[in-house]
Amino acid sequence: MNTQPAVHTEEVWKVFEHDGIAVEAVRGVTMDIQPGEFVVMAGPSGSGKTTLLNLLGGLTRPTRGKVWIDGQDLTEMSERALAKLRLQRVGFVFQAYNLLPVLTALENAEFSLLLRGMAEDERRRKVEELFATIGIAGLEDRRPSKLSGGQQQRVAVARAVVGAPALVLADEPTANLDRASSVALLDVMAELNRELGVTFVFATHDPQLMERAQRLIRLVDGAIESDQRREEPPVA
Amino acid sequence: MTKRWQVLPRLSWRNVRRQWRRSLLTGTAMMLGVAALVFSRTIGDGAHEDWIDSGVRQGSGHVAVQDPGFRASRKLEHRISAAQWEAVAGALEAPDVAPYVERMTSRLEVLGLANAPTAAVPVNIVGVDPAAEAEFSQLGVEQRLVEGRYLEPGDRLHAYVGRRLADRLDVALGSRLVLTAQDESGDIAGQLVRVVGIFRTGVPEVDEGLVHVPLATVQRWLGAEGDITTVAILLRSAWDVPRVLRRVRARVEEATDEVAVLGWREAMPELDAAIKLDDFWGYVFNIVLFVIVALAIVNTVLMSVLYRTREFGVLRALGLTKRETATVVFTEGMMLTAIAGLIGLALGYGLVWLLFRNGLDYSGALEGDLTFSGVVLDTVVIPVYRGVQVVMSLGSIVAVGIVASLYPAYRATRIDVAEAMKFEA
Repeated sequence: MNTQPAVHTEEVWKVFEHDGIAVEAVRGVTMDIQPGEFVVMAGPSGSGKTTLLNLLGGLTRPTRGKVWIDGQDLTEMSERALAKLRLQRVGFVFQAYNLLPVLTALENAEFSLLLRGMAEDERRRKVEELFATIGIAGLEDRRPSKLSGGQQQRVAVARAVVGAPALVLADEPTANLDRASSVALLDVMAELNRELGVTFVFATHDPQLMERAQRLIRLVDGAIESDQRREEPPVA
Repeated sequence: MTKRWQVLPRLSWRNVRRQWRRSLLTGTAMMLGVAALVFSRTIGDGAHEDWIDSGVRQGSGHVAVQDPGFRASRKLEHRISAAQWEAVAGALEAPDVAPYVERMTSRLEVLGLANAPTAAVPVNIVGVDPAAEAEFSQLGVEQRLVEGRYLEPGDRLHAYVGRRLADRLDVALGSRLVLTAQDESGDIAGQLVRVVGIFRTGVPEVDEGLVHVPLATVQRWLGAEGDITTVAILLRSAWDVPRVLRRVRARVEEATDEVAVLGWREAMPELDAAIKLDDFWGYVFNIVLFVIVALAIVNTVLMSVLYRTREFGVLRALGLTKRETATVVFTEGMMLTAIAGLIGLALGYGLVWLLFRNGLDYSGALEGDLTFSGVVLDTVVIPVYRGVQVVMSLGSIVAVGIVASLYPAYRATRIDVAEAMKFEA
């Protein structure tokens, strides 16, 4: 059995310089996230949620401390190695969906598989299965501009999980959605977590999402204020 | 299986299409730039070819063979003997030279005086082979012939003179005049000739200072039987000059080291300088044109990069390396360049052919004849199309495309992925 954490951080700091003033966005965060966890990082604006998520995804480098994803130390990696790690081990879901507008829903979802060199038949099969699972079958050929917000975000989720990453990082995924779409999306992600064992880490202040958290980490001023685990799995 | 690198051009192409207004605007600027380049090259080359053609016909050919001292002295002592001329003729008949030669003519040129009862005028007396010279210098063609006729084979004591000279000497068709010059021994010798024709080129120094007389007459008069001062050779194309020059030189030098084989650039340095100067300004024009085009590309592609900052952030987050992100941007610029370049080439050549295939006539913009350095230039320029122009035009536009796409591509690599996610277009 794999006992290696999906994420491990050790005394991670991120300090930004703004007009000569040092702003400590993340302050000495140490934590482990196990494979298959459904983790929500909550906190007010400016609490460092997004910055911590970016650090976990290798989108930004820590000022101090270490970050391991799937046993690999991100802080020691070259830009190229980080890009490879993001491609193979990390999936992202963004608040603004961030689908590539020139690609269809299917092409967006299969993009990481395409970059990995997977054969077209296999790519299409995986994406179509996933689209059926998350309830957007039939939308494969539509461009993002022809999809609703909820549909776009589902495509973004499909893009994030299709390559079976060690970790999916989702930054305020429900912030731009109405309540019904949010609930539907969270159902999809909870199901993917439960059925496929996908590890999700969310940054949010959406109460619905917090309610579904298997583990809720509260951040205040860049530091972990509390880290609570629930016994029962997230509600699907 | 789709390879990773195949994904990037696909993205680039879709982005070019997606921002079609911007692409169209930039593409149009580039197309017009290339079309203008094609226009300037075809017309410029046509004009230069015309200058060269006029110059070499009225002067000493694409290739001239003379005694090494003749150009400076213009004296009879610097002439080519019959034996030397035979060596030159042998070289010109060689299989690797003869196909390039259109025609040639032999001349015996001396400076002298044209004397009539009323005046004496310094002139350049040229002994010519009438048949060969008529085809070569075309001094007897209808446009230049004012009265009478050009010299003909069998003529002996006849002269073909310019309009201004005839006026200054107050002679008319059939009048007699005496030509005097230093003969082979250095003595002044005179020859009576009769005017059989009067020409007008429009170049004052030619119309007043040139007299054509049969070659045999001049040779006999000056005691230089069988000798000449210049073999003027006209090639089928000015582009063949370096090749022919090299081959003729090699062969002539084997046979005799006492003659100079000159290209038209050496024989007519003023014309050479004029063409180089014109080329220089042509290049300046092209550079300015391409700087404008390059700025248009930089502007479009850079705007596109800035507008799509978040998108590039996403690409990086999804696993594209910096280099691959730059490749997407660079390829966009190059695609735009390639399409616009090819259309621009087709447009340029199409328009030049459509509008100017019978020549660009700029005589309306001139008063009188267009002359330069003793050469009358044709005011109708026939465009010249060459493969090398296409290669150069494509090469230029590709170079501009590369230079103009590099900076936006570099900028795309500078995007901070985390910051890009906050970007609002």
